[in-house]
Amino acid sequence: MRLSSFALLGGLAFAGPPVGPSFDIVTLDFRHEHSPSLRKHLIEAMGGGVALLDYDNDGRLDVFFVNGGGPAKAGFARSDPRHWNRLYRQNPDGGFSDVTEAAGLAAAGDGNYGMGVAAADFDNDGFTDLYVTSFGRNVLYRNTGKGTFTDVTGRAGVGAGGWSASAGFFDYDNDGLLDLFVTRYMDWSLAASKACGGGVPVYCPPATFPAIGNLLYRNRGDGTFADVSAASGVGRALGRALGVAFADADDDGDVDIFVANDGMEQFLFRNNGNGTFTERAVEAGAALSDDGKPVSGMGVDFRDYDNDGRPDIVVTTLSRQKYALFRGLGDGQFEYASLASGLGAITFIHSGWGTAFVDFDNDGWKDLFVAQGHVMDNVEKLDPSLRSHEAPLLAMNKQGHFERGGQAFAAAAGRGVAFGDLNNDGAPDAVMSTLGGAPVVFRNRGGGGRWLTLALRGTRSNRDGAGARVLVNGQRQDAGSAGSYLSSNDRRVHFGLGSALTARVEIRWPSGRVQRLAGVATNQILSVTEAGDK
Amino acid sequence: MIHSALLVVLLAAQSLSPEVLKHVADGMAAEKAGRLDEAIVAFTRVAELAPALAAAHSNLGNVYMLKGDYAGALKPLRQALTLNPKLAGAQQQLGYALLATGYAAEAIPLLEQTKSVDGLGIALFQAGRLAEAVGQLQMALDRRPNDPELLYYLGRASATLSKQSYDALRAAHPGAARTHQVLGEIEAVQRKLSDAEKEYREALRIREDTPGVRLGLGEIYAASGQWEKAEAELREEAIRRPGDAEVSYRLGSALLEQGKMKPARAELERANGLAPSMPETLYALGKACLADGDLAASEKHWLALLEIERETVLAGQAHFGLAGIYRRQGMPEKAERNRKEYQRLRIGGGK
Repeated sequence: MRLSSFALLGGLAFAGPPVGPSFDIVTLDFRHEHSPSLRKHLIEAMGGGVALLDYDNDGRLDVFFVNGGGPAKAGFARSDPRHWNRLYRQNPDGGFSDVTEAAGLAAAGDGNYGMGVAAADFDNDGFTDLYVTSFGRNVLYRNTGKGTFTDVTGRAGVGAGGWSASAGFFDYDNDGLLDLFVTRYMDWSLAASKACGGGVPVYCPPATFPAIGNLLYRNRGDGTFADVSAASGVGRALGRALGVAFADADDDGDVDIFVANDGMEQFLFRNNGNGTFTERAVEAGAALSDDGKPVSGMGVDFRDYDNDGRPDIVVTTLSRQKYALFRGLGDGQFEYASLASGLGAITFIHSGWGTAFVDFDNDGWKDLFVAQGHVMDNVEKLDPSLRSHEAPLLAMNKQGHFERGGQAFAAAAGRGVAFGDLNNDGAPDAVMSTLGGAPVVFRNRGGGGRWLTLALRGTRSNRDGAGARVLVNGQRQDAGSAGSYLSSNDRRVHFGLGSALTARVEIRWPSGRVQRLAGVATNQILSVTEAGDK
Repeated sequence: MIHSALLVVLLAAQSLSPEVLKHVADGMAAEKAGRLDEAIVAFTRVAELAPALAAAHSNLGNVYMLKGDYAGALKPLRQALTLNPKLAGAQQQLGYALLATGYAAEAIPLLEQTKSVDGLGIALFQAGRLAEAVGQLQMALDRRPNDPELLYYLGRASATLSKQSYDALRAAHPGAARTHQVLGEIEAVQRKLSDAEKEYREALRIREDTPGVRLGLGEIYAASGQWEKAEAELREEAIRRPGDAEVSYRLGSALLEQGKMKPARAELERANGLAPSMPETLYALGKACLADGDLAASEKHWLALLEIERETVLAGQAHFGLAGIYRRQGMPEKAERNRKEYQRLRIGGGK
C-alpha cells in the first residue's frame, strides 16, 4: 500500500489575529481506530501516540502513528489493516507515503491494543529504532538500516505486559547505552473493566482500578535489556502513569525522571547516580497543585521555559484543574507557577494531553502547545460547559508569561503530539493524533526570529546524545525525544534566537565531556559530533 | 428521663410489693447489660402491677427509646404524662419519639417546653415552619458545631425556604429583574453557563443596578475560565457595592487566577479589611503573596488562618503551602511538620 497523501485541509485553517506564528493545517490518510463500545472500556478513550523520526536517514522527518485495535469483544484483533500502526515516509516534495508494509510494521499483534511510541537509536548503529507500547505486549522494532524493522522484543526482553502508556529512551547510568522507561497506567484487564455513572454510562475514573509500578530496562549493550524496575527503586512507587519526560533537574550530571500520574501525586524520580532512584516529588514541590490537590496528569514536558537555566515541568490535566507548571528553582526544587505564569488562566476549563515547550516563533522563548479534549466522549451531557472535542492550545511565551496564541484551530479529540521540524526550515511543526480520527499536521509558516537546530551525535555518549545539556545563548534544553503524551519528538535540539546572527553553544554530553562552540552562524541545522576519542 | 435507679427509690418509698421491686431489679439488670427486650418485659410487668405510677411508664418508654422502637415508646410515655404532666424527662422523650415517628406538629410544644433546640429545629422544618426552623437549627449548631444531622436539616430548611421565596417571586413578578437573577442562579448551579448568562443579562437589561447580578456573572465567567470577563463584572459590582467583602474576595481571586499578583494582593487585603479573618480570604492572600515572591507575608496569612481553624480542608491546604515555604527557606523540620499536618487532614478528610 503506497499512498501519496499529504492533503491540504483548507477548511480546518482559520484566519485569526496576527499573534504568534501561523500554521497551515494538513492531514494524512491515517485514521486512529479506537473501537468505542457501550461498555466504556477506559482504554478506548486514551490513545494514541505519534513519533517523528528520520528512519531512513535521508534528512527528512517521517511519521509513525500508533493505532488502537479492533473491538474488545474480538479480543482487540489487529489483523485488519484498519487497525495497523502506520509509518509514513516523507518524500522530497514534502508529501508522505505509507510504507508500513514495506518497512515490516504491518503486524501489530492481535490483542495488543496500541498506545504509545518511543523512537531512538538504542543499539547505537546510526538508525532510529521504535518501541511501541500497548495494552498487551509491547514491541521493540530494530531498524535494520535498510528501510525495514525487525521485531526484537523477545530477545531484548522488553515485552512488558499489562497496560503500558508513554515510554522513553534515556541513559540513566551514562554508560553510552540508551535505557528504556515504560509508564504503566493501571492494573486493568478486560475482565475487570467496567463502566461508571448512573443513567449516563461514562468512563470510570482511574482510581477505580488498582495502581501499578512503572518499568525500567537497563540496556546491556548486546541487544538485550535487564529489567531493573525493582533494583532501581522505580517499580516500588505505585502510580497511574501516563506521561514521562527526562531532564537533569538538579544539575548533578545524571538524568532524572518525571512521571505524570492520573488523579494522584506526580512522581519525580531523583537519579541517585548509583543505579537507583528516589521518588521525591512531594519533597521537591512537584507532586501536587498549589492547593495540595492531586491533578490528573496526562502529558508532560521537562524543559526550561523561563530561560533561567533550570528545567521546568508542565503537566497537562483535566478541566478545572489548570495545567500544572512547576518552575525549577535549582537543586531539584520546584514551585507551582501556573498562576504566576498566566498558564492557569488560559487552561482552567480545558483538558490537555500531548504537550511540549517549543519556540514556534523563534523569539527566544519557548511557547507551549497542548492537544486538548475531555476524556469523556459524552461529557457535554454531564457538564454542558465542557467539551470532548477542543481546539489545541498554543500559548505564546512572552518572557515567561503565557498568552493565548492568535490562530484559531478546529476542535478535535486531541491526544498524542510529536514536535519537530518537518521541512527543515527552522520553524517547528507539530503532528497531533486524534482519538478515533485523522491526525492533524500543524505546518509552521515560519517568518519569526532566527534559529539554530543541533543534530547531536554522541561518541562516548549514546549516539543520539540523549541527556546532553545544551546551552545556546543562555537558553537550555536537555536533548532527547521523550515527553508529550504517548509520543516521541524529533530528537534534534531546536533553539529560537530572536535576532541573533551568531550563537554560543555549550554541550555537556552524558559522558561528562563539555564541548563549546563560539560564533556559530544561526539559521542552520548543525550536526555536532561529540569531541574526543570514543 | 427517670433513671431506673431512681425508679427503685421512688417505688421503694411507696412501699410496693417485693414482687414489683424484684421486677424493677430484673429490668435494671437487663437494661444495664443491654438486654433491652428482657428489660421491656420486666418494666411492662412493673407498669401492670403499679399502673398509677407515672415513673413506671416513663421508664418503660425510656427502654423503648434506647431500643430505637420509637413507636413502642409512645404509649407508655403518653401514659406517664397523663399521670404526671410535669414529668420533664418524659416530655422530652415523648417529643423526640413523636418527631421520630413523623408527628412533628405534636412534638413541637413538648420540645419547646423542654428547650430541646435541636429536635425543635427539625420538628419545625418537618412541620413546614421553615423560617423558625432555620433560627432554631442555627442555635443548635452554635451548641454542637458541625453536627451532620443539624447541618443537613439547616441546609434543607434554608434551601426549601429559598425555593419557596423564589417561587413566590417568580409567580408574582415573572418579568422582574430579580426573577431573571434567580433563574440565572438556577442555571448556573446546573452548569448551564450560557443560559445563566442570558438570564443575568436580561436582569441587567430590566434593571441595570440590580445588586448581585454582576457578582453572578463574574462567578459564571470564572467557572468557565473567562477570567478577564469575570474581572470586569466583579469590578463593576465592587464599584456599586464597595463594602461587600464577598465581592472584593471574588475580584481578588479573579485577579489571582490571571496571575495579576499585585492587584490581587491589594484587593484581597481590602476584602480582609472589610471582613477581617475570613479564612477563604486569608488563604487566597497567602497564595497571592507566595506567587508574588513574598514568602514572609504568605506565611503570616496562612498562620493567621490556622489560628482561626485547624481541622478543615482549608487548614490542610495552608499547611501544605507552609511546608513548601519552609522547604524553600531551608527549614526541613518545620516543613515536615506541616506536611504531616496536611497529610493528616487530607487523609482524615478535613471538615
